Amino acid sequence: MEQLIQKLKQEIIEVLNLEDIKPDDIDANAPLFGTEGLGLDSIDALELIVLMEKNYGIRLQDPNQGKEIFKSISVMADYISKNRTK
Amino acid sequence: MQKALIALFKVVPLELIYCVMALVVPFYMLFNHKGYTAMYHFFRQRMGKGVLSAVLHVYLNHFAFGQVVLDRFATYAGVRFKLTVDGNENYLHLNEGEKGFLMLSSHVGNYEQAGYVLKSDHKTFNALVYNGESPIVMNGRNRQFADSNIHMIPVQSDMSHLFLINKALDDGNIVSMPADRCLGSAKSATCQFFGAEAKFPLGPFATAVQKEVPALAVMVMKEGSRSYRAYVRPLVCDASLQPRQQMAALAQSFASTLEETVRHYPHQWYNYYEFWDGTGV
Repeated sequence: MEQLIQKLKQEIIEVLNLEDIKPDDIDANAPLFGTEGLGLDSIDALELIVLMEKNYGIRLQDPNQGKEIFKSISVMADYISKNRTK
Repeated sequence: MQKALIALFKVVPLELIYCVMALVVPFYMLFNHKGYTAMYHFFRQRMGKGVLSAVLHVYLNHFAFGQVVLDRFATYAGVRFKLTVDGNENYLHLNEGEKGFLMLSSHVGNYEQAGYVLKSDHKTFNALVYNGESPIVMNGRNRQFADSNIHMIPVQSDMSHLFLINKALDDGNIVSMPADRCLGSAKSATCQFFGAEAKFPLGPFATAVQKEVPALAVMVMKEGSRSYRAYVRPLVCDASLQPRQQMAALAQSFASTLEETVRHYPHQWYNYYEFWDGTGV
């Protein structure tokens, strides 16, 4: 799981173009959205939806899922490990 | 008020209501000071008009805005407008394909009329809309489009609208969203627009790049009292660029297309805030 969390941090930095942030700077349990943690917004959320689909074969289509899955990188990694198709 | 308007259009000719509105517009301008000032600056600084000419154009702009608002309710009451499409081949080409695509609108003309002319028999049309619109407007729209494949996606604070956008595009459908004001994210792209820098919302262009779908700029402009012309233009960017650069290039393509249209129809520019200082984006 730790390996997946690190990989996910790296992928998020790349797709969201977070140039000044290193994987170790990101707290895996911190909120991804809002004023705390990474402070991502809706444009970034769509990028994460696409990332889940392209890199892990997970199609997120239920509007109610997002709030839960994108809580933090740890939660995302847990969901990926249970639902990935590639 | 809105219900009364719809009822009124069933008995009074549209042109007569326009005439009454022409008398009301100056009073409206007096009380809409912020919008009036922003539009005055648009005509002075961006269109290069003199003082008196700019005031006259502000009046004509408010009159044109009143007309499209009335036209919207007239449509709900059953009045039909003549619609012609310039660039229909751009729409038909994407509509015939398997892939989903974006239709990007702006606060010019009367975009809602596009729903009556740009139709699809195999794709659904999903319009991203502001969640705070009045129930009368939402109900009127829903009634008009009840028998069609047009769906509304209200922007939600929990970002659930993104999943609906994602699904619609994955399923090869059409997603429509405004590309001159922010809905949701505050991120923007700075573009050259009317000879100065202006901020456009990044979201629509980011969606096109992230989902790898084509995007069209669609503007429906009023030409006569009962006629509209829809302009459909493809947005282009160099696919070899980095994603962030592609987003910026698409935003500039949209801004340039919008400028070309607004220069032809300056009275149908309806962003009533200081668009160029960035505070309204």
